[in-house]
Amino acid sequence: MYYPEPTTIWESIQYSPLGIFIAESTWAFPTIETIHVIALVTVLGTIFVMDLRLLGVASKNYPITSMSRDTLKWTWGGFILAAITGTLLYISKTSSYMINPFFMGKMVLLAIAGLNMAYFHFVTWKTVANWDTSPVVPMGAKVAGITSLIFWITIVFFGRAIGFTLGIYDCYMVGQGDDGFIVSMLAGIACAGA
Amino acid sequence: MGDLLFNITDWMRGTVLLDWAFWMQETAFSLFMVENFWNVPIAQAIHILAIGAAFGSVLMVVLRVNGMAGAGLTFEQTAARFVPWVRWGLLVIVLSGLAMIMAEPVRNMINAVFWIKMIALIVMVLVSLSWIGSVRSAAQTAGAAYIGTGGAKATGWLIMALWCLIIVCGRWIAYVPV
Repeated sequence: MYYPEPTTIWESIQYSPLGIFIAESTWAFPTIETIHVIALVTVLGTIFVMDLRLLGVASKNYPITSMSRDTLKWTWGGFILAAITGTLLYISKTSSYMINPFFMGKMVLLAIAGLNMAYFHFVTWKTVANWDTSPVVPMGAKVAGITSLIFWITIVFFGRAIGFTLGIYDCYMVGQGDDGFIVSMLAGIACAGA
Repeated sequence: MGDLLFNITDWMRGTVLLDWAFWMQETAFSLFMVENFWNVPIAQAIHILAIGAAFGSVLMVVLRVNGMAGAGLTFEQTAARFVPWVRWGLLVIVLSGLAMIMAEPVRNMINAVFWIKMIALIVMVLVSLSWIGSVRSAAQTAGAAYIGTGGAKATGWLIMALWCLIIVCGRWIAYVPV
């Protein structure tokens, strides 16, 4: 198949041999996507278990450190696999993803969810010995739990929305009608040089 | 593999399944699902969230039987915490799944992978029910020290593998040649 000369850094990624392979292969994209789904339900499932403990909704009598030990390695393992497979999916349609508000929104939400988790582990976690076995956890831990739940639920919705809106937004259509603030802003990144 | 699945799907086109699918397509609920752009993605997002909740809960039970989680808890305590989440999760999975089937009856009902997924789902539920029953009775006297036999551990991982197979089929419904 013929591919035009890349005009943006995103097209250079997309028209790389790996990007072209994933896009053209009949099995690569669905296979990577399937692994992405298995990885993300592992992340979701283990995060829900930990968040519900932090919120005092479930496993109230199970120490928080034990719950963290049970779940965290699965959360991280799943997350790393989801990040690798997500990157491969991204490589195959980079320019379409870069101008998609749901994709960029998902990346922002992931970053905030990561910051929330980092704050919990590096700050709130310091005093865990005081509330490890208590069904009542400090406000900071509860906030971390509810924030994590809300963000991950939204991330799933955005992730699904990407698949339904990919191709609706396109650099060649920007500037020809009412694009809206977010799409115009994303076009500044996604279509630079195009 | 693709040819075999296509041939099965092709055979389905000549069965009563097609009449059912056409009938479903005309129902008010089906029309409701397709008239708003966001109904199907919302149903899919709910489907995935419920799979996450149930999948994570099954994982925790399997890890407990393997002695890899729930240290200091009896099997009964672990089951009391997680099994209801699997049950309710499965209910939401089935309801959101039905909404997705009603949105696109022909694509689902006339699709070999969809029916393989349904068979795998039933097998998974039956294996899980029989497994949880036998683990419960074996774990009763052992208390918090309980760790499953080799067979119980392996069956737990088989159940996880069946969940993954169901997820694989779920994704490939959209990609298999029909």
